[in-house]
Amino acid sequence: MTGTRPVVLLVDDEPRILSALTRALRREGYEILSAETPQEALRLVASRPVDCVLSDQRMPGFTGLQLLERVAAERPQAARMLITGWNEELAPADLERVGVRAVFSKPWDDTELKRGLREALGTAEPG
Amino acid sequence: MGNPIGGSVDAAPGVRVLVAEASPSLGRSEGSALRAALEPLVRGGFLESVPDLRSCLERCRTSDVDLVVVDEGLGRDAEEIVERLRRSGPPVLVLQRVPADAAALAWFRRGAADCVAADAELAGLRRAAREQLERWRSARRGAPGELAIDWALSPAPADGEPRPDPGEAERERHAQVLQTAKMASIGQLAAGVAHEINNPMGFIHANLFQMSEYVADLRQVWGRVESLQKAVDAGEASAVGLAAGELREAVAEVDLSYVLQDLAKAIRESQEGSERIRHIVQDLRDFSYQDTGERVLSDINQALDSTANIVWPMMKHLVELEKDYAELPPVPCYPMQLKQVFMNLLVNAYQAIEEAVGSSGKLGRVSLSTARYEGGVCIGVADTGVGIPADKLDRIFEPFYTTKKVGSGTGLGLSTSYSIVKRHGGTVSVESTPGRGTRFSIRLPLLGEEIGGAA
Repeated sequence: MTGTRPVVLLVDDEPRILSALTRALRREGYEILSAETPQEALRLVASRPVDCVLSDQRMPGFTGLQLLERVAAERPQAARMLITGWNEELAPADLERVGVRAVFSKPWDDTELKRGLREALGTAEPG
Repeated sequence: MGNPIGGSVDAAPGVRVLVAEASPSLGRSEGSALRAALEPLVRGGFLESVPDLRSCLERCRTSDVDLVVVDEGLGRDAEEIVERLRRSGPPVLVLQRVPADAAALAWFRRGAADCVAADAELAGLRRAAREQLERWRSARRGAPGELAIDWALSPAPADGEPRPDPGEAERERHAQVLQTAKMASIGQLAAGVAHEINNPMGFIHANLFQMSEYVADLRQVWGRVESLQKAVDAGEASAVGLAAGELREAVAEVDLSYVLQDLAKAIRESQEGSERIRHIVQDLRDFSYQDTGERVLSDINQALDSTANIVWPMMKHLVELEKDYAELPPVPCYPMQLKQVFMNLLVNAYQAIEEAVGSSGKLGRVSLSTARYEGGVCIGVADTGVGIPADKLDRIFEPFYTTKKVGSGTGLGLSTSYSIVKRHGGTVSVESTPGRGTRFSIRLPLLGEEIGGAA
C-alpha cells in the first residue's frame, strides 16, 4: 500500500449494515465509501478510483453479482466481494466469470472479513 | 365380482359405493359401523365390498362408482387404489387404522379425497362420505341437487349411546388439517424470515464485537485517569504533570470523543435491530396462534397488513407493494384463518412474479386492496406475475392441485383458502391473464352464516 489510502466501497440496501461494516473497518486504514443502492454504487465507481467493492447479494431489482459484473467492466482492477444472508446457490461458474474474490455470509466474522480485505487490497492494483 | 353387502345392486340413479378392505370384510365391529354409516346414503345404488386392488379397479371400470372407501389395512393395494383413481376416478376416502396427521398428509398427497379414522363414530364416517359424494356429484353434473341422497338423514345413531357433541372429532380434524396447511405455508416463508432476522442479527453481532473493542479503549483511558488521580492524591506536581500528559496521549490515541460518540450510536442501532427482531418474532407468534372456536370482530385491514409484513422480507427484492385500503367495519371472523388465506395469496402472488421476472432486474407489483360493499367487505390481491392458463384456472382450488414446480407448493394453499372463506360464508373469485397477472377477490359478508358444517 502506497501513500494514498485504499478506497473500499460498501454496498447494502440496509443502512445499519453499512454502518456496522464501516465501524468494523475503522482501524484498517481504508477510505470507506458506502452506497445503499447498486445505482449509487455504479455512479461512485464511475466517478472515482475504487480499490474494492464489497456488496450485498440480494437487493431490490439488482443482485450483488449483477452489480459486480458491471464493476468488472467499468473498473476491472477493483477487487470484488459479496456478502449474503441467503444460502442461495451462487454458481461457482458465475463467481469465477465475474471474478468474485470472496463471499462472506451474514452475520459475518469481523476477523475473517478484515483478513479477506487485507489480502485483496494487498494484491489489487490501486485503481 | 364384489359381494353385495347392502342396499340394492340396481345401478342408477342411486349412489354407488365400493369398500376396498382386507378380508374378513365388514363383519367386524368397525365394519358394521361403516356399513351402518354408508347404507343410508346408497338409496337404490349399491354398497359393495372388494378385497383387493384388481377387483376394485375392475369394478370402477365396469360401473359408475361414486365413492371408494379404502381400508388402510390393505397396505400397498390401498396406496395403489388411491394413486390410480386420483386422475379421473371417483373420490377415495381412506379409513385410517392409526389416525395421524403426517399419515393423513401422505394420503392426501397420493390423491385421497379425505381420511377418516376407521374407528370414528358413525356420524363422522357418514358425514365424511356424504361430503365426498356431494362434491363428486356436483363436480360431474354441475349441480348438487340431483343427488339421490336424503340430505335430511337424521344424524342420530341407532346405538343410543350418549354423544355430547358429534361434531367435535371432525372439528378437531378440520383444525388439524388447517394447521398442517398453515405450517406448510410457514415453511415456505422460513427463508424470508430468516433473512429478515439475519440482517439485524448481522449488524448487532458486528456492533457487539466493535463495542467490546471500544470498552477496551475506554479501559485504557480509565487506567490513565486512575494514575492521574493517584498522582493528585500524592500531591506530587511532577507526577501529576506526567500522568496528565499520558492521559492526553491515551485520549488522542483511542480517539476518545469518536469512541464515545460511536459507542452511543452503535448501541442505538443495535437496540433498533433487536426491536426489529422482536417485532418479527411477535408477528410470527401471532401467526402461529390457533383461533378459538368463536368468531371475533376483527379489523380486516390490520389482518391483511400484518400478514403482508411477514411476507414482505421474502418478496421485497422482486416486488413493489401497493396498498389501497378502504375504511372497513369490523368483520366477525376467525382472524388467524383469514391471515392464512392472505398469506397463501401473497405467497402465490410472489411466486408468480418470481416466475415472470426471473433475474431480469425488473420488479413485479402486488396490489392489496380492500373495499366495502353492501353487506360485506371485499379484499383483493392482485399480481403482475405469469398468470394462470384458462384450462388450469378451474382446477386451482382442488386440494393438491398445483401449477408450481416440485417443491414450491403443497397444492394445499388455495383449497384451504377456499374452504376457510366458505366457512365464513364468503366467496373467492379469480381472474387471470397469462403473461399479465392474476387477481383474487374475496368477499366476506358482515353477517356470514356458518357454512360448511364443521365450524
